Amino acid sequence: MKLGIVTDSTCDLPADLIEQHQLEVVPAILILEGEAYADGPGISRSDFYKRLPEFKTPPTTAAPSIGEFAGRYQRLLDCGCDHIISIHAASRLTSLFSTAGQAAQEFPDQVTIVDSLSLSLGLGFQVLAAAESAGEGLAAALAAIEATRKHLRVFAALDTMEYLRRSGRLPGPIAFLGSLLNIKPIIALEAGEVKAVRAVRTTRQANTRMMDFLQGAGNLERLAILHTGAEARARAFLNQLMNEISRSLPHEIMLVNVTTVIGAHLGPGGLGFAAVRK
Amino acid sequence: MSIDTVRLEKLRIKPLDGQAVKRLVEAGLLWLKTNQQTVNALNVFPVPDGDTGTNMMLTMTSAWNEIKDSGEKHAGKMVAMVAKGALMGARGNSGVILSQLWRGFARATQDSAVIEVEALVRGIIEARDTAYKGVVKPVEGTILTVAKDTASAAEAAAAEAQDPTEVLARCVPAAEASVNQTPELLPILKQAGVVDAGGKGLFFILEGMLRYIYGEPLDTPLATVRPLSSLNLEEAMQEVEEGQDYEVVVDFFPGQKFELQKFYGRLEEMGTSIQVGEGDGMYRMHIHVPLDKRYEPIDYIMHIGTITKVAMENLTAQMDEIGAKAKNTKLELASVEPNQIAVVVVSPGPGLSRIFASLGVAAIVSGGQTMNPSTQEILAAFENLPTDKIIVLPNNKNIILAATQAGQVTVKKVQVVPSRTVPQGLAAMLAHNPDGELISVSEKMTRALGEVQTGELTVATRTVEIDGVNVKEGEVIALLDGNLVASSKSIEEGVMAFLKKARAGEHELITVYYGAGVDQSEANRIADVVRQAYPGQEIELQDGGQPHYQFIISVE
Repeated sequence: MKLGIVTDSTCDLPADLIEQHQLEVVPAILILEGEAYADGPGISRSDFYKRLPEFKTPPTTAAPSIGEFAGRYQRLLDCGCDHIISIHAASRLTSLFSTAGQAAQEFPDQVTIVDSLSLSLGLGFQVLAAAESAGEGLAAALAAIEATRKHLRVFAALDTMEYLRRSGRLPGPIAFLGSLLNIKPIIALEAGEVKAVRAVRTTRQANTRMMDFLQGAGNLERLAILHTGAEARARAFLNQLMNEISRSLPHEIMLVNVTTVIGAHLGPGGLGFAAVRK
Repeated sequence: MSIDTVRLEKLRIKPLDGQAVKRLVEAGLLWLKTNQQTVNALNVFPVPDGDTGTNMMLTMTSAWNEIKDSGEKHAGKMVAMVAKGALMGARGNSGVILSQLWRGFARATQDSAVIEVEALVRGIIEARDTAYKGVVKPVEGTILTVAKDTASAAEAAAAEAQDPTEVLARCVPAAEASVNQTPELLPILKQAGVVDAGGKGLFFILEGMLRYIYGEPLDTPLATVRPLSSLNLEEAMQEVEEGQDYEVVVDFFPGQKFELQKFYGRLEEMGTSIQVGEGDGMYRMHIHVPLDKRYEPIDYIMHIGTITKVAMENLTAQMDEIGAKAKNTKLELASVEPNQIAVVVVSPGPGLSRIFASLGVAAIVSGGQTMNPSTQEILAAFENLPTDKIIVLPNNKNIILAATQAGQVTVKKVQVVPSRTVPQGLAAMLAHNPDGELISVSEKMTRALGEVQTGELTVATRTVEIDGVNVKEGEVIALLDGNLVASSKSIEEGVMAFLKKARAGEHELITVYYGAGVDQSEANRIADVVRQAYPGQEIELQDGGQPHYQFIISVE
């Protein structure tokens, strides 16, 4: 049985891994001053984050069409896949999952839709786990996704509350949303929702807390340091991390400038991580 | 030590039963009230902060309110009520320790229908022990030392004293000697040239009891005049009594027949909140009077001296203004669910209250410097919240003990995160998680206290040298985390001096909370000066609305 894997561009996996595992990645849509761009080829990430504070109307995002998903499914089936896992960004945060679900209705019993309950490499690591065990069949791949999700920690220290506040895409109440002080929230993805863990007022305080959270996660199997157009900050954090807790780190650590589709809701200057515990 | 036998004939507390205890408590309270300003003036730092005399007086008032209508004959039961009232009304550190003294005394005398020498001495000793245990790190040269020396005198008197009065007669001079000795034990007192205020307050309570027994008056202070600089007229305005609508301040040079005692007596017939100060022969009289008596103090003083200046203000109008301002600040407080953690903060200003509310606090107690809330007030703030997990942020070093005590008299689970300044409280608030586990959340919040440095800018209330800084009355002084670091000619200089001491250039963020006495354009101007001097730092300006402190600044 040959298993095909479809995901979306919010998984933030680098091109070489996408190619290596023959993943089909559906680009999400970024709407910038009235124009729609496909995530990835449309606008470069570094350019986007540089310009983000200056856009007159805040950028928004959208899911691609049902046809976009259906096309990917068809292509994989045409290439000889017997079944497809289509795994996507948290359903409570984006409509990618539900759009994929509608597309899958055209392929009864051929596509299994999975809600990753996560974003960025939180989704990406689940995709990788599925791809790595795809040879052992559907059940094994789904189990690998489940195991990864169980050990997943995704945190982000945002530089400002502004983008989160106006994104309006937050399920449930977020602490500090009404803060009169300028604060930098630290958020976590838990069970597919954004949760404000705490807030700080300076980048230094944020980095210290992020280091604490990462240390608290224990020995790690996979790790990605994420940022929204803040490569210097992310590199400094990574260096500090290697000095302080190299023992429990995986051999490869990704450094990822997060996709514009997510970054539009978080704002520039943010630092995050996605980690899978052993 | 010989005891004045003539005076002993005037004994009015024999037997020392419940009603006698009641009269002694009232006497202690009255004498403390009479001398309240004297105790308030014993302030180490030349800053307007928690007035010890007022705090202790309010603590005793709460004790008195508990018993004033009681006909209880049993001494032990009466003392138990006193202790309960003191506990609930405790304000400020000295007030809390005073309530602990009563608690210990009550424990030792609970079975005594009539307090004899042995029970009295045991009570005083137990009072001392309880007070020492109630403080994490007892400091000598404070009210604790005075309690200790008083207890030693009581112990020494135990063998020979014939009745409780003799014990008290030995304790009072011992307490006084102990108070006078406090600067030798606590260097900061010596530096400031004062004795310990809490100890002095305790002395007045004990002395008041003895004066009652001797039949001496309790309502007129020993005729002393305070230095002009220690008159705190701004404070006095805030305590407006019903019907005393006008504040009158008269500066005058007294004539030859001027008698201070008589002067006080006459003023007391006219009004309340009387304060008299003297400097270079000039006297300043301050009084609150009803509308129809507003010219009386002026007429009277014209007869006994030469008036140089008169000021009169309509207090009700002023209070209405303050009240109207307060009404405009309706706060949106966080609602808590039964199993969540609620945070209660003490906030000194409406702007700061708004900021605390925006960060998710569930209840706010007004208070801070010069207005320490009581145990009861803190308790009342969380008693009705629908959860039993409570975290209290006192935001002032003088409120931490009262907050701790509030946690001890409730069935709710209360953790006090010992924030000593407003910026510390705000930093702690950012670490709050209402859905977390109480102990772990309070530990996280406590750790966050260290993330900020606090600056407080105010005007010196007197001339003093402290912590190596020469302060002249009226100068702007800057405190860094509670320590005096600079004294300057202007607010601007003070702010810059603080920022330099706090090494603001090595940090990221400077937040400036401007006080009630600073208008917004002046605050903006200062913020711009800071911006120019610290271009690498982010500067945030917020309306704090706190009284007395022109600026509270955090550096992080």
